[in-house]
Amino acid sequence: MKTTLTTCPWCGTGCNFYLFTDERGQLSGVEPAAGHPVSRGQLCLKGWNAHAFVAHPERLTVPLYRRQGELVPCDWNSALDLLHERLSAIAERHGPDSLMFLASAKASNEENFLLMKLARAGFGTNNIDHCARLCHSSTVFGLAETLGSGAMTNSLDCFEQTDLVLVIGSNTTEQHPLIGSRILQAKQRGADLIVIDSRTIRLARHADLHLRPRNGTDVALLCGIMRQILADGLEDRDFIAARCENFAAFETSLRDCTPERVAAITGEPEEQLVAAARRFARAEKAMIVFAMGITQHSHGVDNVRALSNLALLTGNLGRPGTGINPLRGQNNVQGACDMGALPDVYSGYQKVSDPAVRKKFAAAWGVDLPEQPGLMATHAMEAAAEGRIRGMLIMGENPLLSEANQGLIRQALQKLEFLAVIDIFPTETAQLADLVLPAACYAERDGSYTSTERRVQRGRKAIEPPGEARADWQILRALLGRCGLQADDTGPEQTMMEISTLTPSYAGISYPRLEGAGLQWPCPEAEHPGTPILHVENCSRGKARFSPVTYRPSAEVPDTDYPFLLNTGRTGVHWHTGSMTRRSHLLDREEREPYVEIHPQDAARHQLKERQPLQISSRRGSIEALARITDRVPAGQLFIPFHFVEGAANALTNNALDPESGIPEFKVCAVRLQPC
Amino acid sequence: MLKQLAEKDLLRLLERIATRRRLLTPQRQSDGSRLLLPWPGGLPELVGTPLQRKPTEIFFPQLELLMELDNSGDVRLPVPADKPVALLGLDHFDLAAIAFLDRFFLSRPTDDAYLRRRHDALLVGLSGLAGPQGATLPPAETCDLELILVPDKLLARPHAKLGEELLAGFTAADPTALRAIDRSPAERPATLLAAARLLQEDQVPEAFWEEIAARCIACGGCNFACPTCNCFGVQDRTFGNRTERSRLWDSCQLDAFMREAGGHNPLGTETLRTRRRVYHKLVADPLRWGELGCVACGRCDRACPTGIGMLALCEDLVRR
Ligand code: SF4
Ligand code: SF4
Ligand code: SF4
Repeated sequence: MKTTLTTCPWCGTGCNFYLFTDERGQLSGVEPAAGHPVSRGQLCLKGWNAHAFVAHPERLTVPLYRRQGELVPCDWNSALDLLHERLSAIAERHGPDSLMFLASAKASNEENFLLMKLARAGFGTNNIDHCARLCHSSTVFGLAETLGSGAMTNSLDCFEQTDLVLVIGSNTTEQHPLIGSRILQAKQRGADLIVIDSRTIRLARHADLHLRPRNGTDVALLCGIMRQILADGLEDRDFIAARCENFAAFETSLRDCTPERVAAITGEPEEQLVAAARRFARAEKAMIVFAMGITQHSHGVDNVRALSNLALLTGNLGRPGTGINPLRGQNNVQGACDMGALPDVYSGYQKVSDPAVRKKFAAAWGVDLPEQPGLMATHAMEAAAEGRIRGMLIMGENPLLSEANQGLIRQALQKLEFLAVIDIFPTETAQLADLVLPAACYAERDGSYTSTERRVQRGRKAIEPPGEARADWQILRALLGRCGLQADDTGPEQTMMEISTLTPSYAGISYPRLEGAGLQWPCPEAEHPGTPILHVENCSRGKARFSPVTYRPSAEVPDTDYPFLLNTGRTGVHWHTGSMTRRSHLLDREEREPYVEIHPQDAARHQLKERQPLQISSRRGSIEALARITDRVPAGQLFIPFHFVEGAANALTNNALDPESGIPEFKVCAVRLQPC
Repeated sequence: MLKQLAEKDLLRLLERIATRRRLLTPQRQSDGSRLLLPWPGGLPELVGTPLQRKPTEIFFPQLELLMELDNSGDVRLPVPADKPVALLGLDHFDLAAIAFLDRFFLSRPTDDAYLRRRHDALLVGLSGLAGPQGATLPPAETCDLELILVPDKLLARPHAKLGEELLAGFTAADPTALRAIDRSPAERPATLLAAARLLQEDQVPEAFWEEIAARCIACGGCNFACPTCNCFGVQDRTFGNRTERSRLWDSCQLDAFMREAGGHNPLGTETLRTRRRVYHKLVADPLRWGELGCVACGRCDRACPTGIGMLALCEDLVRR
């Protein structure tokens, strides 16, 4: 019997726990780390069950390649040779930019760094991206413009000091349960809570004010709130004068956002809007918390800009208990972004387009590096469908279920000349691959992960991977070697040294320093204690910038043919495409079937019964799901979680993209329903 | 007879125990918490915060193989460990919880998986000045032998024959040494008893449960952390020709805990589930076993992210 302290593999909260290993060398349970500042002896249901999928019989254990249509086993050397040869051949014939690499927010910092090195230095393309494109790309883009850094400005501790929490587009108690619980605790101790969400999520039941604007109208609502704050003279003049720029243009831009107009667009009564504005602006310290409800729109970046404007207008930045706090979804989505698994930046958001940056990386790696920023994941799928991307390597992602418009994604993946997938289970995407490499899961490899509050922490190996499965970093090192780059079998600790040399915000980070509670970046020197709160004296970009925005309707809204608005998201018990949680007994038992939430009025109008099978169709596809009649959703809206392959919400969703961040509009499209 | 153990005696005692048993002792982890782990030699970490993981886990693990079946119909039961286990450093809460689970699992029909691990296990209790920051732990007597920390001394007292044998040969202690610490027996907190009474008399309004349940995020932590919780689910996993049947901790705070295949759910709301958790321990258990199902160890309070563990909840209930 043995225990291993490690970081939770699910959400970006960053809880730590002990994994227990039994006499057979298998995981037998999980215990929260009592002394860790995030978990504090507590976990959510997924955390308590993080051991459950690891020994599942469907784990991939040998490399597989496609022969006469079938995936058949092969040895590692042939598999790696094949992968290298096929990608190189495509690059030679059609240019390196005909390749696409998808990194993973479930892989470690080191692995993301190695994959971005493989794409850039090994194959000569900046076509690397990962699922942050689908979740917080709008945040990274929006906050980089207004503040100079796209990350959560404050720390989780701040919930203990704040006077008010504004939660918008985040079902926090289900998606970041241990942050949701901090918000509930803040409310208990007397802080105010404003929830803006079209659904009556748990937090809404505790809120002082719950606003339910129509999905897709947040820009209008937020502008209305800000105009009201100005009308009441509740803005923070000193902060604006000392710390911000472009206020005049911003102020002018709000002129038309009168309560009447905003009420008409959002469906939210004027009094609610006025009350929210006053309550928010009067709080001495207010935290804004947001997630996918803000980002996953064809105007996701504008939503983020509006939130940034709201924080600046009221001076809620750079102090404890304030801030603009995007909650990052995956345990390492922050880290995957930090490591430069993005088409336009190297690690630490150093721009590909900057010649000095390119020179630095080229010197370190001893190769010439491509100048053109690469393709975003969403655009790469379009390009693949059109035959412009021909080879793809996907590490630990399942785009066939996770990206919008499944029909298009399937077509894209099938059209590829060569698709290789590194994963732990035979996911729906892996089924389409020409080569499948079995990976070690979080409990079987060492590495570091960066949580939503920018806390870099260790993941530690507890057990051996099954069969011949290997850690992603071992696979990537072997590929780097085949590309003629340094490929010794040194582990993640050495990779972190390379990261810290090349990445200013990680310069002070090393494995010995990560023991204990980890370090929050920026951590620029070996002695630096880390940075719990960003933008304290100055913003990363100097002055904070007001960025005026104008309301644009969603790309596809309900009409007579498709009368319902479809909202998609997740449940608290499943993780994304379910490849792990649907293989965890207790989690799987909680939600076994695809379902659709529908308001009682709509159910009555269509004479529907609870659990009745329904067919839901959009212009792009059609699925079946069981009716769940509930007033959690407003009338006219349907909500479907995207975990279920047998009722894939993303067969319906619209791949209308935000022009700046490339994020699809997962939160709004038009559908119709009929009983099966 | 009361004994006195110098450091080298304690080490000798541990060695004695370890010759016939797999000895688990409290060990401090990097985050400061103490866990029961195989004894690595040397002195155990006796003093500190309560054991983070409930020690009943040793007899009723979170995930446990029950049997293996193969396609030819053969059934294989797990082989019991070659040596029985010894748990050292159990406080009176831990011992009360083990006694509770023993009664539950070992009453007829006996649960053979539990028995397989529990059989012949040695329990070493701990009391005296071993609490957090030297706080006094009440007597821990439902065990084979008890270690008692008094100022400057470690005492040991047998409570069963096995304990006596293990302590044979060590120096006798002056019984007055015990007077240096408070030896009043542990009592269940008054609020817990008061809350139990209110519940038994059916005086708790529905609104109270609704309000508490609205704060439950269904993490299951209160159940997983509780040393007297004993509900489990069963899973089968097939690896080629072989099927493993295991059991795993379940939680009555989860929606599907009682949900039937057709969708009907007798515990279909979080209010019903929250009430059930408390009723079970404070009303149903006393009716069945003559004793509360809560030993007041405080683990669920520490594990609950939203502050509605048993003791917090009872305090709230009584206050109102
Ligand atoms: S809140 Fe997130 S990090 Fe914490 S246990 Fe749950 S899934 Fe893991
Ligand atoms: S205090 Fe909580 S964890 Fe401890 S026995 Fe009572 S109910 Fe169980
Ligand atoms: S620990 Fe608290 S939040 Fe978690 S299930 Fe129990 S009562 Fe609910």
